[in-house]
Amino acid sequence: MNEPLFIFRGIEKSFAENEILRKVDLSLYPAKCILLSGKNGSGKTTLLKIVAGLEKPDVAEIEYAGKTNSWKKAIRSIRKEIIYLHQQPFLFSGNVESNVAYGLRFTSLNRKQCRESVIKALEWSRLSDLAKIQANTLSGGVQQRVAFTRAWILKPKVLLLDEPMSNMDQESREQAFFLLCRMKSAGMSIVITSHVPQYFYGLADVQFHLSNGKLVQSELSACNDSP
Amino acid sequence: MNGLLLTTQQALQLLLSGDAELWSIVMLSFSVSLKAILITTPFALLVAFALNHGNFPGRRIILAFFNSLLSVPTVVIGLFLYVMLTRQGPFGDLRLLFTQSAMVIGQMILCFPVLVALGYAAIQASDRRVWETSRTLGAPTWFTILTVFYEVRFGLLAAVLTGFGRIISEVGISMMVGGNIMGYTRNITTAIALETSKGEFAQGIALGIVLLALAFLLTALLSYLQGSKELTA
Ligand SMILES: Nc1ncnc2c1ncn2[C@@H]1O[C@H](COP(=O)(O)OP(=O)(O)O)[C@@H](O)[C@H]1O
Ligand SMILES: [Mg+2]
Repeated sequence: MNEPLFIFRGIEKSFAENEILRKVDLSLYPAKCILLSGKNGSGKTTLLKIVAGLEKPDVAEIEYAGKTNSWKKAIRSIRKEIIYLHQQPFLFSGNVESNVAYGLRFTSLNRKQCRESVIKALEWSRLSDLAKIQANTLSGGVQQRVAFTRAWILKPKVLLLDEPMSNMDQESREQAFFLLCRMKSAGMSIVITSHVPQYFYGLADVQFHLSNGKLVQSELSACNDSP
Repeated sequence: MNGLLLTTQQALQLLLSGDAELWSIVMLSFSVSLKAILITTPFALLVAFALNHGNFPGRRIILAFFNSLLSVPTVVIGLFLYVMLTRQGPFGDLRLLFTQSAMVIGQMILCFPVLVALGYAAIQASDRRVWETSRTLGAPTWFTILTVFYEVRFGLLAAVLTGFGRIISEVGISMMVGGNIMGYTRNITTAIALETSKGEFAQGIALGIVLLALAFLLTALLSYLQGSKELTA
C-alpha cells in the first residue's frame, strides 16, 4: 500500500448550533478514488471545501510529509496541491481556452510552455474544436468537462469532485467517467461525492458514508465488478 | 419670449463656435471630476470588496454608515471641508481653500459612499463560486479580487458612471471650496449658478445644454450596462 499524501484528522465544523462534522478523519492516497456518499445536507460539500482550504473548520489537523500541523498552518502550503470542483462549475467570462489556462499563470511555466500545455490539455479532453467558444454559453456537460480540464492541466495531487455527474446526460457522463479514470491512473487522488454512488463503481476504491457528522466506511456495493 | 429665443440662439452660437471661455469651463469641470473619480474608485471598490468578503465585526454598521452618507447634502460636505481648510482650520496651513485640489477632495468625499454602496451591491450579486474557483486554481488574493471585479465589471462600471454623474453636476462643494474663480475654479455648475445671477444668460444656457447632454449620455450608458448585466447574469 502507498503512503497517504495527506491525512486530515479530527475535522469538526458547525454552522451556528448545527453540528455538521464531528471528528472526521480522511486519508488521501495517490492513484486512489474515494467515493463519499450521504444524504443531501449531510455535509459532503462542507467536508470537501475544508479539505480544499475554501471553508474554515472549527478544528482540524493535517499530516503531510511526516509532520502534523493545524489546518490553518498546513492548508497554506498544501492548497496548491488540492483542487475542488463545484457541482455546477463556474466558468469565467472568456473562451474555453482562457478558462483552461486560468491557473497556469500561477505556475512556473513560461508563456510558450503554457500555450503548449493548453493545446495538449484541450486535446486530452477533446475540447480543441471549442477552444474559441465563450465558455458560459456551453451546455452543462461540456462546461463540466472544461472545468475538469482547467483542473487537470495544473496536475494537482488531489482532485475533489462535488456531485460531478448530477447535471449530465448519458454521453457526457461516459466521457467524464473516462476522463476520471485517466486522471486516477495518472496518479491523482480523487474524492467524489454523490448520492447516486452507482455511477462510480468501477472507479472508486473505497466508499465512505457520511451521516450524523461521522464518516463510516461502507462496502462498495455488489456491482463493483461491472465496469 | 423673444428674449429667451435670442439668448438660446446666442447659447448655441457659443457652443458651436467653440467659445474659448465656455469650453475652458467645461474642461475644468471634467478635469476636476475625472481626477476625483479616478482617485476614489480603487479605494472605494476595495472597501466594497472587504465589506462583502471580509469577516470582521461591524461590517453591517459600516455599510449602514456609507448608505446614510449617500443622502448628505453637498453644501454640508462643502461646509465641512471649508471649516477644515480655512486659514484658522486644522488643515489651513495647506492653503487649499479656493483651489481645484479642494474641489477634487470635496468631490472625492461625495462620490466615495456612492461607489462603496453601488460597488457593494454589484459584488454582492456576484457568485460565491468566482472566489472559490479562483482560489482553488491557485490564484493569490489580489488576483482573485481582480477576477471578481472582472466578473461584475458592468455593475462596477455602472457604479463609477453614477458617481461621476453625481459629482460633475454638484454645485454646493465647488461653490464653497472652489469659489468660482474664472479660469481657475469656475466649473459648469458654479458658472451657471453665479454668472446667471449677473445676467450672463447665454453662457448659462449653453453650459446647461452641455450638462444635460452629459446626463443623457450617462443615462443611456447606464441602461446599456443594465442590459449587458442581465445578459451575462
Ligand atoms: N455557509 C453556511 N451557513 C450555514 N449553514 C450552512 C452553510 N453551508 C452549509 N450549511 C449547512 O450545512 C449542512 C451541510 O451542507 P452541505 O455540506 O452542503 O451538505 P451536502 O453537500 O452533503 O448536501 C446543510 O444543512 C446546510 O444547510
Ligand atoms: Mg453538496
